[in-house]
Amino acid sequence: MSDALLIASSITKSFGGLLALNGVSFEVEAGQIFGVIGPNGAGKTTLFSCLVGAARPTSGEIRFLGDRIDGLPNWAVVSRGVVRTHQIVRPFRQMTVRENVSVGAHFGVGRRRGAEAAWRVDSILEKTGLAGRAESLAGTLSIGESKRLEIARALATEPSVLCLDEVMGGLNPSEIQGAMTLIRSLRDSGLTVLLIEHHVHAVVGLSDRILVLNFGEKIAEGNPGVVMSDPAVMSAYLGEDELAGAAS
Amino acid sequence: MTIRPPSRIVRPAATVVAALVLLLLAPRWLDRGTLNDLWSIAFAIVLASAWNILGGFAGQISIGYSAFLGIGAYTTALLSLKGIGPYWTLPLGALLGAAFSYVVGLPTFRLRGPYFTIATIGVSEAIRVYAAGVSYTGGSSGLRMPPGTFDFGRDYAAMMILAAAVVLLSIWIRSSALGKALSAVRQDIDAAEALGVQSTRVKLIAHALSAGIVALAGGLFAINFQYISPGSVFDFRLSLSIVLMPIVGGIGTVAGPILGAIIFSYLQIKLLSTPALRDSYLFLYGGLLMLVMLFEPRGLVGAWQRLQGLMRLPMRRAVPRV
Repeated sequence: MSDALLIASSITKSFGGLLALNGVSFEVEAGQIFGVIGPNGAGKTTLFSCLVGAARPTSGEIRFLGDRIDGLPNWAVVSRGVVRTHQIVRPFRQMTVRENVSVGAHFGVGRRRGAEAAWRVDSILEKTGLAGRAESLAGTLSIGESKRLEIARALATEPSVLCLDEVMGGLNPSEIQGAMTLIRSLRDSGLTVLLIEHHVHAVVGLSDRILVLNFGEKIAEGNPGVVMSDPAVMSAYLGEDELAGAAS
Repeated sequence: MTIRPPSRIVRPAATVVAALVLLLLAPRWLDRGTLNDLWSIAFAIVLASAWNILGGFAGQISIGYSAFLGIGAYTTALLSLKGIGPYWTLPLGALLGAAFSYVVGLPTFRLRGPYFTIATIGVSEAIRVYAAGVSYTGGSSGLRMPPGTFDFGRDYAAMMILAAAVVLLSIWIRSSALGKALSAVRQDIDAAEALGVQSTRVKLIAHALSAGIVALAGGLFAINFQYISPGSVFDFRLSLSIVLMPIVGGIGTVAGPILGAIIFSYLQIKLLSTPALRDSYLFLYGGLLMLVMLFEPRGLVGAWQRLQGLMRLPMRRAVPRV
């Protein structure tokens, strides 16, 4: 058996008659940045939901550190160290930014309390550039700040695998640069990062490996350079006609 | 590292302790009628604040809290009749109330939507019918406490201490990890679980805490009134009042349930002493509830905060638009 950190084997997820994921398998090594790309509706977010236990795969299995985690409730997966952010941000609007991040610190893996929790929350707010907004209500944040709050809360749970679902969507170019720097520094600090992203440049620039989904199926996986020149990937992104036009 | 702003805990807690000292000294100066009214207000504060731990902090609306009041009252009455000192029966009543809350919460908290609220109505009515139907509870004619168990001074002090304790507990929960988890569950249960919060577990804890406290109040109720019946402690209108007090005062806050409880018990005391208006209090409660729902869903505390906000703004924006 492989010693990869996270192993997904033939994950299938159907909603009624709709097949959102169809036999997707992949492995993520510790310390990697692992990109997940694909057109809208390809099943990327559903894949993350299955990984963290927010959704139960119809079939297939997911192993983290050798143990099966599919079928566990979301909170149990988080307490083992796999956490995700939400594409559509879900801050606790009536709480301050600091309180939002504290929830992650109090529960999650570390279950910190008191001064220890406060110290961790402070350092995460600093790292994610939210220290200046710590006492603001989360409902008053801009979209860029809200995306950073999603990351900050997830980090506060002290994960070993961080699944980021489009944290750069809606950001301006300088904010995207900032997010990329942050993600690299997280990887360098030992975290394994799974990354769903629509900004192809960002995902190619960051990822050690890339998985490409289309209509719920894996159509490619490998190094960014190899994957992005794969004909199946190009046709999924650009369409057959465009490809034919570009070739002629 | 940051230190939690002390004003969120220390100042409110100091206020509560100061109020408790005053209220415990009050029997030296006040007449029995006024002390009786203070007992009723403290009783209402206990019920409203305890309900608010689950209904306000966690957003789980229960309309069946008379069940816990009744469990506490009947535990105290039945055990006192067996010769046990009434105050010694209080912990057992609280424990039974908490255990019963677990039985109601376990199957319903896992479901999303209004199932919990609906279940609480059914369960509390079922237990009322049960208490009225079996013989060991005295059936619908109720139970009388054994002679010699009445001591108003003692019951007054116990109720004041319980009220202060519930408010202190609310202040502590508000800034604790449990309080943040409850608030997270209320605002977005999926996002809370995605950060590792076991939503079912924290809801069960909040339910058990508040049920145990209400059962304690039920025991003190039995001691003070010396007579309980299904119609008095398992009354559905009582369950409704317990919900309305925090909502009118300001749901999910510490001060709101206290404010609502004071207003409701004051109204009830005034109305009960006016024979023509005796049965109109539910009508008044309903009217208050509609006003709150229409104009300030955050209750009187919300209205006060809005007023403060207006005073801080420049004048031109403070003028209401017509």
